[in-house]
Amino acid sequence: MPVRAKQPRPEIWFRRRINLITAAKELWSFRELILTIAERDLRVRYKQAALGLLWAVIAPVVLMVAFTVLFNRFAKVNTDGAPYALFSYLGLLPWTFFSNSISVGGMSLVSNNELLNKLYCPREVFPIAAIADATVDALIATCVLVILFPITGFAPKAEVYYLPLFLIVLAMVTLGVTLAVSSVVVYARDLSLVLPLAIQVGLFVTPVVYATTSISHSKTFLLAFSALNPLVPVINGMRATILNGLAPNWLSLGIGAVSALIYLLGGFTLFKRLETGMADIA
Amino acid sequence: MRKGTIVGEEVWKRFRLDDRPTYLQDRLAGVGDRLRNRQGESWRWALNDVSLRAEPGESWAIVGTNGAGKSTLLKIISRVMYQTAGRVELSGRVGALIAVRAGLTPLLTGRENIYLTGSIMGLKRSDVSRRFDEIVAFAELEKAVDRQVKYYSTGMQMRLGFSVAAHLQPDILLVDEVLAVGDATFQQRCLDQIRTVLGEGTTLLFVSHDLAAVEASCTNGIWLQGGEVRTSGPIREVLTAYRGAVEGEAKVRGSIEGLIKVTDVEAVSPDGGLAKTGGQLDVHLTLHSDLPYRAWIYLGVTEGAATPIFLLNPGRETMIEPGETRVTCSMPSLPLPSGKYYVWGGIYKNWTQGDELIGWQPLTEFDVYGPELDAAPRAVVRLASLHVDSNWTID
Repeated sequence: MPVRAKQPRPEIWFRRRINLITAAKELWSFRELILTIAERDLRVRYKQAALGLLWAVIAPVVLMVAFTVLFNRFAKVNTDGAPYALFSYLGLLPWTFFSNSISVGGMSLVSNNELLNKLYCPREVFPIAAIADATVDALIATCVLVILFPITGFAPKAEVYYLPLFLIVLAMVTLGVTLAVSSVVVYARDLSLVLPLAIQVGLFVTPVVYATTSISHSKTFLLAFSALNPLVPVINGMRATILNGLAPNWLSLGIGAVSALIYLLGGFTLFKRLETGMADIA
Repeated sequence: MRKGTIVGEEVWKRFRLDDRPTYLQDRLAGVGDRLRNRQGESWRWALNDVSLRAEPGESWAIVGTNGAGKSTLLKIISRVMYQTAGRVELSGRVGALIAVRAGLTPLLTGRENIYLTGSIMGLKRSDVSRRFDEIVAFAELEKAVDRQVKYYSTGMQMRLGFSVAAHLQPDILLVDEVLAVGDATFQQRCLDQIRTVLGEGTTLLFVSHDLAAVEASCTNGIWLQGGEVRTSGPIREVLTAYRGAVEGEAKVRGSIEGLIKVTDVEAVSPDGGLAKTGGQLDVHLTLHSDLPYRAWIYLGVTEGAATPIFLLNPGRETMIEPGETRVTCSMPSLPLPSGKYYVWGGIYKNWTQGDELIGWQPLTEFDVYGPELDAAPRAVVRLASLHVDSNWTID
């Protein structure tokens, strides 16, 4: 009897070709599942919380009030004439969306471990469902603006129509970072301990409570900042258009958009590369 | 490829030998090792050149001892895990029942869980709605369907899981050692349902240690040992080979010692030849003891496992005096079909508490010559082989 080879023949080793277009197509065919999982997570979350959907409003509003009190007292931020409450809330809305997505979506593969080790589906489904839930929360939190504008006696400017541009950049960077974090956490579980800290630090390296001009008026600084953190042109742009009626800073937004796209493609590729080994160690 | 086909060609799978949970510090240490050009990684091959081809409507059993790679193979086929080498292809929708709670979310109600599992299997909500009542009725959960699954008993969760997986018309159904949780009636209903699903053209892959259930529901089998295919083909052949090997492991040990010694055991027919179905069989035991004991002696005839087909005891306490004691148990009419059997035995000091003088263990083996065991109709699970003479009148 021939002795069995102890290794597979070299030509049959499994190599996964990463094709983001095929992956995106497959993901699209699982869109109904994304919604089902998002719905499930929403239900689960609010079944256990007495205040239900109100929680989505409470977190950003409390932060906004705290920042308004603090910063009005101790440090004056140049808001170009807009009330600080509105100024900070417009920063908190995208930030809360981003940080919710990362903290819930980042852990989604670990927390759904049992499900994804039993049945096949593209695993991006779980972090994306978490982002969908963060979107619902953000939409609810946005309703606060309906009250906040009259209270502060301020009216939004017509330049609101620029908003979709910012949302696209925001979506790309959120998706990219969430995919990257969620896949890496599977391999290094203790990152889940670092994550909350990283998010807290993130709050301060993003112009949420301050304006970019509070740090520096330099143009190079703004562009470098936008490249590293695509949330910068998003938040700046929302404030400039909605509160001050200005056009967005196109150069900063463009750099941010390119950067966000790189985050997205990089995060997706990393996710797909790490996906093959996830079930082995989960 | 027609829907329901499963093809695995030269499938290999390896795992890290060191499968501790990984932390960042381990990753960093690993990078350090690699930089210093040390071979930091060692592997264990869980699957070794496994090939399998199942056509639509076929039912395959995967048998093997613990750690043989059965579940790994199932996970690779269900695409939850990726193979290290080789080709795996399958077409159609997969329904999997790989653990009791497969895919059930404890915080959601039974109803919500049915829809969730359906959409993971790639079904539209309307498809699930159409079969909803059937699923609930089969799982016998009419009263509990709007309760959260965390308040379900293990049996209820299992019933729900099986019912969803089996009723959503998968092209391929994977079942991994889960039926054991249900009660006997439900197990039988599951086997019937598996048969119905097979009739609808679903391909079945069934992992179980319950060889009787496997034999009742599968036509083909694959026997894995240490990640390699030992035999594959018609279920009967595979199971015969597997049983032979497993039962071979129930080796009769040379010396049998507890507080007393069994110095000699034999199971023979009085004329010294092979035991025959319906004929007499005598078991002779020679015991040696240093102290006197009042003991309860039990003998059991098994097919290899510890669970006996039938149990024998004298029905009274036996005095064991210091020195040699010869015990003979005679069965005037042996109700066993042709095959190989084992005599297990145990001797206990006390009938109620069972302080053992000799623990329950295989003592000797014997062959029976006689009629073959009749084939059972599908979905009839036979727990033990007994031959009973019967006379029939059909008017």
